[in-house]
Amino acid sequence: MSTKGTSTFIIQRFTAVLLAPIAIWFLFGIVSALTSDYATARAWIANPWNGALLGAFLIIGAWHMRIGMMEIILDYIHSWLKDVLFLINWLVALGIIVASAWAIFHISFAG
Amino acid sequence: MADSLSSKRPLSPHLQIWRFTVTMAASITHRGTGVVLYGGVFLIVLWLIGAAFYPPLFETASGIVRSPVGFILIAGFVWSLLFHLMNGLRHLYWDTGRGLAPKTATMTAWLVYSAATILAALILWAGYGGGA
Repeated sequence: MSTKGTSTFIIQRFTAVLLAPIAIWFLFGIVSALTSDYATARAWIANPWNGALLGAFLIIGAWHMRIGMMEIILDYIHSWLKDVLFLINWLVALGIIVASAWAIFHISFAG
Repeated sequence: MADSLSSKRPLSPHLQIWRFTVTMAASITHRGTGVVLYGGVFLIVLWLIGAAFYPPLFETASGIVRSPVGFILIAGFVWSLLFHLMNGLRHLYWDTGRGLAPKTATMTAWLVYSAATILAALILWAGYGGGA
């Protein structure tokens, strides 16, 4: 535990640096993608650049979010509930990573 | 003995005791926007799962997104991402040991709030086909 805080601190900064340029791309495309119809949305995701960047944003973002939420839980929850929330937080991050990779892969390659 | 002593101990200063400053607001907003993005990303992944595997889920998500409530959700998400992105850069700059003087930190806090608001308006205008 005593050595883990530093690596968590560094990973949070590292993922932040990776996310910053991808977030700029994301902001340019996401509003029109989210408001478009089924076929247009799938075509947007199937574009290799969009698929790769959307996947990178959601996967790196999931890890960044997990650390941020963990810090919030650590600040406010001091009972047994803390461990339950940690577990849920982990599962949400893993779920986002698996689901987004699987969904983007499926739209891109499985038609 | 221990009880009567501990009840008289001063509490450490908490939120309501501090004067409100923009740097403090930016700190709270950074955490708040982080939570908003957590929820927003979760909903975007549901939309993505719908697009990939369950058209009815996509239609439900799409219906919400295209409603007036959806506009508020998207506007909140876009503003939050812009704020968290730019305030995050402010944090990374602080990590290098610079920009921490009260005057500088106050100025950059106002800058982040203003830029997030202006850029969010532009992105929403363009994203909803305002430029087309």
